Amino acid sequence: MIENIDELSKLTKVKLKNLDKCFYPDIEVTKGHIIEYYIKMAPKILPIIQNRPLVLTRYPDGIKDAKLGKTSFFEKNAPEGTPDWVKLHTIYSPTSKRDVHYIVCNDIDTLIWLANLAALEIHMPFATIDDVDRPDFLFFDIDPEPPATLSDAAEVALLLRDNLHDRGLTPFVKTSGKKGLHVLIPIVPQYTFEEVRSFVHKVGVELAKQSDIVVSEFKDTKKPGKVFADYLQNSPMRTMVIPYSLRPTPEATVSTPLEWSEVKKGLNPTDYTLSSVPQRRVTPWKGIFEAKCHLEI
Amino acid sequence: MEQENQSQEETAQQPESGKTSAPAPLRSIWSGSITIGLVNVPVKLYSMIYDKGITFHFLHKTDGQLVKYVKVCTKEDKIIPWNEVVRGYEVAKNEYIVFDKAELDAVKPESDKRIRISKFVDYFSVDPVYFDRTYALLPDKSKDAYGLLLKALERTNKAGAGRITLRTKEYPALLHTYKGALVITTLRYAYDVVDPHDFEKLGKLEEPQKAELDLAVKIVKDLSGDFNIAEFQDTYMQRVQKLVEEKIKGEKITIQKAPEVEAKDLMVALRETLKQLEQK
Repeated sequence: MIENIDELSKLTKVKLKNLDKCFYPDIEVTKGHIIEYYIKMAPKILPIIQNRPLVLTRYPDGIKDAKLGKTSFFEKNAPEGTPDWVKLHTIYSPTSKRDVHYIVCNDIDTLIWLANLAALEIHMPFATIDDVDRPDFLFFDIDPEPPATLSDAAEVALLLRDNLHDRGLTPFVKTSGKKGLHVLIPIVPQYTFEEVRSFVHKVGVELAKQSDIVVSEFKDTKKPGKVFADYLQNSPMRTMVIPYSLRPTPEATVSTPLEWSEVKKGLNPTDYTLSSVPQRRVTPWKGIFEAKCHLEI
Repeated sequence: MEQENQSQEETAQQPESGKTSAPAPLRSIWSGSITIGLVNVPVKLYSMIYDKGITFHFLHKTDGQLVKYVKVCTKEDKIIPWNEVVRGYEVAKNEYIVFDKAELDAVKPESDKRIRISKFVDYFSVDPVYFDRTYALLPDKSKDAYGLLLKALERTNKAGAGRITLRTKEYPALLHTYKGALVITTLRYAYDVVDPHDFEKLGKLEEPQKAELDLAVKIVKDLSGDFNIAEFQDTYMQRVQKLVEEKIKGEKITIQKAPEVEAKDLMVALRETLKQLEQK
């Protein structure tokens, strides 16, 4: 074991520790499993999160019963002890009136370092550090309110796909890893978030006219059995969980990019987990940035 | 409290099947009288709250014997007897004033065997955040005075506010009725309860919009009903009880363990990933 650690340290700059610590008690997944997962998924993750300021949710003691109190924390600012080889990007936060040093993950070592920090969940904004105010993604958060399920969200996502296809746009889809779906369109960054947000809202309003179960307004989100086409995340430094991020569910579900042919009735979030996702043969988001759309608003 | 623990252990009986409440303890932990002005109602006090649905004992894995806690001096790193233990009050970091038991006993409140009721209040006017622990009161010697006080409280829907000293601590307390019996609930002092407005994060809340509030109120009304504690099940305890039954039957419980990740596995995965990243 010790020899292997020495050997491992030739391959990565990260000092790995507590590999045996249990993070998902129901399925006995340890930090070692989590690091292994992120290493395996790195070729699919790194191109998407390239040059994006990241936000982390860290679970230093793994996922636990929420009754035991707070077990996770949000982290925007790079933590104390961040190695000097980790790329940072500084953005002034007007609300907290100070500079925030965001982590940018462009290489495998940084991704391993994040996993080693117990950052189970990684979140990204819809713009890159080249211009954090001009989004390069449109984002639809399809969020079903129980008893509506992921199956209902799938139905709404298909309606949305057809609407976007009719406009000549190319949408991509992933599970949120919880109960919803995320639909994104890569765009040439030329508009402000405000412009993009009102476009996404407009599409939501159209969907709500087409389908009884869709709601397009925030005030209706808690109506039981409805599916909200959420446009509000299209704002500066609002984030979504990155493709292939783990989620803090008992089954260790993953926010998983899907082929549109997989989006159908009976879609179940727990089919996509830390153990099943690395075995998927498909790369549904391959070439996503070559498909950048010229949006006409 | 030591005395309570004793009485709990003596009730090793299982709850009757189908019954949702806890078994009644056999022994009282206090006896005295409720005092209202010149009237005395003699009572015995019984513990009626359990803290856990299920209890485990710690055993030594290799021989199955009970383990015990011992006191170890952190400097000498050796076990010390009780009579060498004194109480220290920390006045500054790592600086203590030392008291022995006799000194503290001298200032402890005396249990005068009385529940002194000073006035009667509406039971619901006391916020449950102050509720500490409830004890059952049963009549001692004569049942007449007990029955009379019970009926009077039931008729008026009131509770008696007063004080009780249990062991060595004096508590504010509320004497009230519960399922046709007198019970007493000790209360916390104000200094032990946080005011939520002292959380900076709460701040000042904005007035919600009328339409939103109407909707929220409607949802609350739609979901309104009567509270029934039996609707809440301790699923963890149920699962443990199932395990216990299986173990008693001699069924071997196998715990599915994911294979441990070793540095070697990480190395294999990392080599593969580095190869893939180079190809791009």
